[in-house]
Formats: sequence, C-alpha cells, structure tokens
Amino acid sequence: MRIRGDILRTYQSVHTWTGIVAGLVLFIGFYAGSLTVFKPEITQWATPTSEYLAPIEVEKYDALIEQVTAKHQKAADGFTLNFHQQASPLTWYESGGGRGLRLDDSLNHATLTQQDELVTQLATPNELGNLIDLLHRTAGIIGEVGHEDLGVIILGIAAVLYFLALVSGVIFLLPTLVKNFFALRSNKGASRFWLDSHNLVGIISLPFHLIIAWTVIVFSFHDVFYGGLGLAYGDKPLFERQAKAEVAYSVNNLHPVDKYIKEVNQLAQGYQIKSMEFSRLNSKAPQLGVQVTNPDVMKRGQDADYIMLHPYTLKVTYSSVFSQEHNSDPYGPVVKSFFALHFGNYGGEAGRWLYFVMGLLGAFLFYGGNLLWLEKRRQKQTTQSRSNRVMAALTVGICLGSVLALVSALLASKWFYLMQVQINQGYVYLYYAIFFAAIIFCFIKGAALGAIRIQQLLGTICMGIVITSVIAPLIPALGFMQHLAIGGFEIVALVFAMAFFYSAHKTAQRAYYGERNSIWALTPNTVKDVTPQQVTI
Amino acid sequence: MTRLSADQKIQPHWWSKTLSGSILGLSLAFAFASIFAWYGPGGIEPSMKTQFNMWIISPIWLLVLSFSFLFKTGKKAFLYLSAANIVAYSIFLTLRWYL
Repeated sequence: MRIRGDILRTYQSVHTWTGIVAGLVLFIGFYAGSLTVFKPEITQWATPTSEYLAPIEVEKYDALIEQVTAKHQKAADGFTLNFHQQASPLTWYESGGGRGLRLDDSLNHATLTQQDELVTQLATPNELGNLIDLLHRTAGIIGEVGHEDLGVIILGIAAVLYFLALVSGVIFLLPTLVKNFFALRSNKGASRFWLDSHNLVGIISLPFHLIIAWTVIVFSFHDVFYGGLGLAYGDKPLFERQAKAEVAYSVNNLHPVDKYIKEVNQLAQGYQIKSMEFSRLNSKAPQLGVQVTNPDVMKRGQDADYIMLHPYTLKVTYSSVFSQEHNSDPYGPVVKSFFALHFGNYGGEAGRWLYFVMGLLGAFLFYGGNLLWLEKRRQKQTTQSRSNRVMAALTVGICLGSVLALVSALLASKWFYLMQVQINQGYVYLYYAIFFAAIIFCFIKGAALGAIRIQQLLGTICMGIVITSVIAPLIPALGFMQHLAIGGFEIVALVFAMAFFYSAHKTAQRAYYGERNSIWALTPNTVKDVTPQQVTI
Repeated sequence: MTRLSADQKIQPHWWSKTLSGSILGLSLAFAFASIFAWYGPGGIEPSMKTQFNMWIISPIWLLVLSFSFLFKTGKKAFLYLSAANIVAYSIFLTLRWYL
C-alpha cells in the first residue's frame, strides 16, 4: 500500500511524541492491570485463612441476622451476607466501609457455631488486591482533583495520547505491513528485534488496545462528557432520580433471606449470588445491593453484575442483568459490553488468562517503544546525549522499578503478618520506598547497570515468593499459612523468576559484549565495582 | 507518483492542528452525540441510552483529532472543522426547533 511520504512522516512524528510522553504511566497501568484481572485470587492469597469464619447453611442465615442485629447497633444499620467460599457468612464495618480505599478499616465477621451460638471477630481487611487495582487506575500517582484521583485524570490524558499513537502507528506501518508482518529478525541486531516485536504485538492486539484506550478515556472523563451532553438534553434530566419514600423502615421488617434469593434468582437466571449488601436499613432510603456472577457472560463490574433492590418493598431500582422478561432496554447490553471488554470477564478462566497476557504484552509494547526511541537517537560515541541518558534512566527506573516494588510487596505480604506489621500501610510504604530507590539508582549508576540489577533482584524476589510458600508449613509460627500449598500463584512466580534471570543475563551480555557506542554499554572503566564475571550469571 | 513541491506537502503546524482537533473535534463529537441522543433509534427516552450517548463521544472526538494532522495547514484545520461544527449544530438546532 502506497502512502504519500509527507503523510507517513507526519504520523511518524505523532507516534513518536505521543508514545514517549504517555509510555511510562501506561506501562504501569498495563502490567498492574494484568494483575488486577486476578484481584480476587490475590486478595485471597494474601489474606490468612484464620480471618474467615466458618460457612453455614443458607437456612441458618436468618438466625444469624437476628442475633447480630439484636446485639450490634452498627450491624442493624447495614451488613453484608456472603454466599461464596472465601468470605465469612456475615460481615459489617465497625469503622470505615463504603466506597474507595482505606487502609485501616475494621470489618466485623460473624458466623454461627453448630449449636447456633454467635461468633464474631474483628479484622482489618487485606487491601493488597485493591492496592494493585489502585496502581492500575492511577499508576501510583497520589493526589485528588475534585472528587477524582489525579492519577486517573493523568491516565485519561495518557489514554488520549495512546489512541493517537495507535492510529498513527498503524498509518505509518501500512506500507510495510504486508511484507514485514511476521518478520522477527533477530539476526539483524537487538534494535531490529525490538522494532519487529513492537510492530507485531501492536498489530496483533490492536482491537484490544483500541478498546482499552477508549474505555480508559471514558472512565476518566465521563463527568465532562455527561456535562456536555446535559446541555443537549436541555430540560430533560440525564438520569431519573429515585423518589424518597415517606415511610421509615426498621431492620425488624426485613424479609427472610430465602425470599431475597428467590427474587434475585428470578431476575438473574443462570447467575450465582455472591453477596447481598444491606445498607441504611433504619431510614427512609434503605438499599439492598446484590452481586451476582456468571463466569461466561459479559458483566458490568470486574467480576459481578449488580442488582439494587428496596429491601422492604423488593422494588428493583437498578439492574445490570438484562433479559427479555426483565429490564429489556436494548442499549443496556451494548453499554455493558464496553465495560466487560475492558475487564475481560466474559470468557471464563481462559479469557482471564488471555487478558493477563495481553496486558503484559501491552506493557512490553510501551517499554519496547521507549527503547526504540532511545535507539533512534543513539550517537556514535561512548557517552550518549543527556536527554537519552535521562530517558533511559526513567524508562528502566519507572517501569522495572514499579514492577520490582510491587513484587517486593507480594513477597513481604506473608512476612508482614508474621511480624505483625500494619499490613496495608506496610504494602504502601514498601512500594514507594523501592520504587523511588530504583529510580534514584538508575540515575546515579546509569540505566544499563540499573536494568541488570533490577532484573536480577526481580528474579530473586520472585524466587523468594515461591520459597516462602514452600517453607511456610515448616515454621510453626507461621501457623496461619499452613494451608498454603504450591498453587497457581507460585507457579506464575517461578516462571517469572526464570524469565527475569534470563533477561538479566541477556542485558548483562549486551552491556559487556554488545555495541560499544550505546546507552546500554558498560565497561569496567565506567563502573568500577562490577566485572563481567560477576554480572553474567 | 510525482514529487510534491514544498508547499504541496503537509505542513507540521503541530500546535494549531492539535488545538483545532482537540477543541473543535470535541464540540463536533458532542453535536453528533446530541443528534443521536434525540433522533437516533429509541429517541431520548431509554434510560440506558444516556450512557450509550456518552460512550460514543470519545471515539468520534479522537478520530477527528487523529485525522486533523492530515490538513495541509493549521489554518485549514481550523476552518474546515469550524465549518463542520456549524453544519452539525445547525442540523441539531433545526431538528430540535421543528420536531
């Protein structure tokens, strides 16, 4: 396909500059997003089993509610019933609760013994999964603008640039697309390999990337879009408002749990009920939020659809489950599919792994893009330009540093519980300490040594996660971990450990035996404390 | 293909094209979404359609922005996109007025 040269050059510039500006935060958004796919599993992996109380039969939930609400005022205002394995039968917030992330909420758990006696226990919920999700949505940028996170806004802007980068990348790739599509030339030097793999990954996962760019922009700027749309709607409200009831209700008027289950099962056929959250029970605006799930259909939330009911009148106020009989708005399933295509929640286990891999490939795309930018500006001299050195240090420090910091938090998780560190604060401090240390190291020692060291550490820490799980049953003090066996989590950690060791080895080889006039070259003169033998594993 | 002379080629004009594409592209997207909201399938009533309308704003906006760099000069980008805006909003207001 022939395209005019000036058009190609224009879009090459657009691609280069949008990519280099947005690449770093997008890298964090993508790799953390890959992990967010497994958020429930990560939280479950990190939470000691001793925090969950024993499950009870569904018939006993009514007795449990009666005892808890009679004894605890907070629970009488609102509580959550859980119907899945990795949760206590009933929970309520002693402090905190509601939307958003807080690090020291205290959550009460309740269950019944065989003799129907009430057992309760107070614990701080493990937020590891939510913290990874937050990293995914904000790239770890702290601060708020209005009622939105600053990081979300910045990722929204990055997503606009990312969309431009996708369109421009496709345009200037078109003339050579057919000829070079499946070419992965490893014999023409490292930069050719990075270019070919960048193009290949970009083209193969283009639909995924377009969807992600689009949805992220909407997630970040929906208020702006609704604001503008509101002008066109004129006097017509964008959303219907719920009329407040005149009657004040009391928790004693609640229906038996069985009635709610039957009602929900009818509204959401083929779904399983995950949880029922009762709130504001003694007020004029009580609410029941039910989460239902089905692994093989598109869902509005990451792993659930939502149905909102009035807990006393059972009137449905909102439902993200659409069917012919109930809730047949034709636009409903379409809008829901946009969310589902972002979350990757519609293809069962295989679909989630596919999203995990595509997210990591996305991160690889941005990292490789930055490397290509550096390569293009390489000069035939041993010391590269200042802008090149800064960009290389930022690329390695921010991208690999963020992964290192997160993986360290995963490793520390079990040990935090053992040492009774405040768990959620521990994750946050550890993450930022290591993240900034990695960036500083890259600036002081250079990106070449930084890349080698960080990848070696990454391999070591991933091995540490596996070793922690292996030795856990052997240490009596780690009693709560005794249930741990080698599961999917440990296998993935092992695979990544091997991958990091291998890439550290390749990076070291390039540093000592590769092109001399490069930002990635190391000589015993520039770095005195390292010899090739030490670095090459 | 004959070689293009310097003034036949696309001029960079990054700032003016980016600004025109961003601002006029967004207002154009709002115009399309507004027309669709009132006169697209289902009309203004379906409650979930409000969300759909909001969702279609960003792809229209971004496609206009992406292709704004094809204008030969920043001035042309501004003029053509302004004209497109005037046409789109005229259609919207005319429909709202008469229907």
